[in-house]
Amino acid sequence: MLDLSKLSDEEVIEITRNKDKEVYAEVVKRYQKKLMRYAKYLVNDDDRAADVVQDAFIKAYVKLNSFDSKRQFSSWIYRIVHNEAINLINKYKKEKPLFEDVNFDSGINIEEEYTKKEIEKMVNDCLEEIPLLYREPLSLYFLEDKSYSEISDILRIPTGTVGTRINRAKLIMKKKCQIKKVN
Amino acid sequence: MSNKKSQLKLAEKIMSQVKTGQIKMKPKWYFVVGSISLLSGIITLGMGAMFLVNLTVFTLRGRGPMVSWKLQMMLKNFPWWIPVLAVVGVVLGINLLRKYDFSYQKNFKLIVVSFVLAILAAGFMIDRLGLNDHWSRRGQMKQIYQRLELKDESVRPHRRLN
Repeated sequence: MLDLSKLSDEEVIEITRNKDKEVYAEVVKRYQKKLMRYAKYLVNDDDRAADVVQDAFIKAYVKLNSFDSKRQFSSWIYRIVHNEAINLINKYKKEKPLFEDVNFDSGINIEEEYTKKEIEKMVNDCLEEIPLLYREPLSLYFLEDKSYSEISDILRIPTGTVGTRINRAKLIMKKKCQIKKVN
Repeated sequence: MSNKKSQLKLAEKIMSQVKTGQIKMKPKWYFVVGSISLLSGIITLGMGAMFLVNLTVFTLRGRGPMVSWKLQMMLKNFPWWIPVLAVVGVVLGINLLRKYDFSYQKNFKLIVVSFVLAILAAGFMIDRLGLNDHWSRRGQMKQIYQRLELKDESVRPHRRLN
């Protein structure tokens, strides 16, 4: 009996595609929690996040033969969740305006002031206050532990832009979190 | 606990659709055809835009640098649909290029500029190589060229092709 838990995502996908479609349950088991968390960062609602994740798993299954096993499955499925979440957001048209009065060139290096754990806590507390454009890369980097290269593949933006958006997100978040503390 | 329950429910919902065949994997050939269509689309649009740029150059060349007729007449008679279609072709081609991973992995602005310059250069080169003169005399494109020349002659009846 094959121990699926020891196989890589790409190997599990190969078995699903070519031998046994019910092995897809292993993919759902591995990614369900992470994708629910990620979807919730984007849509800020448990029920809608569940819809997004369900639709994403279904779409991923239908398009499974388009996945290139030389690439990372994780980035691919996160991309599908991103697309589904954006579709849902556009449908409900809930978008935070860009926080305009932040001086992005203030030269503040947030990592000098806070430890990674403190930043993670700030991100968790203030994430929903941040516009989606910055919320996504910030949550992927600090809460989902994705690298710049993986975030670039998920959001289909250059690696440089990932860095810029994360830095801007940190500035916005610092301001928002400070306002929240004062209030 | 309720989180675990809802997770189980979600997994069951998805897997029941997989097992009953409610959702099916699209076959590999579907995506292969999609990729080929995408590439063909870009090539077709590129070549179409190139030909239309070439036609624009031919039409302008026919009129020449001499401005013995009124600008109004030129604007009235110029086949604007040709360069407009060329621009539409280029824009659609650029949108199709975005489907590829290199569009965000590499400098996309540079790719777009190169794509546009390649089309313009090819359009000019076709004219420079004398292919327009060749096509205007024979082949299936003779009618298109003759229609453009007739329009030109109605403005400048004394113009002669070399």
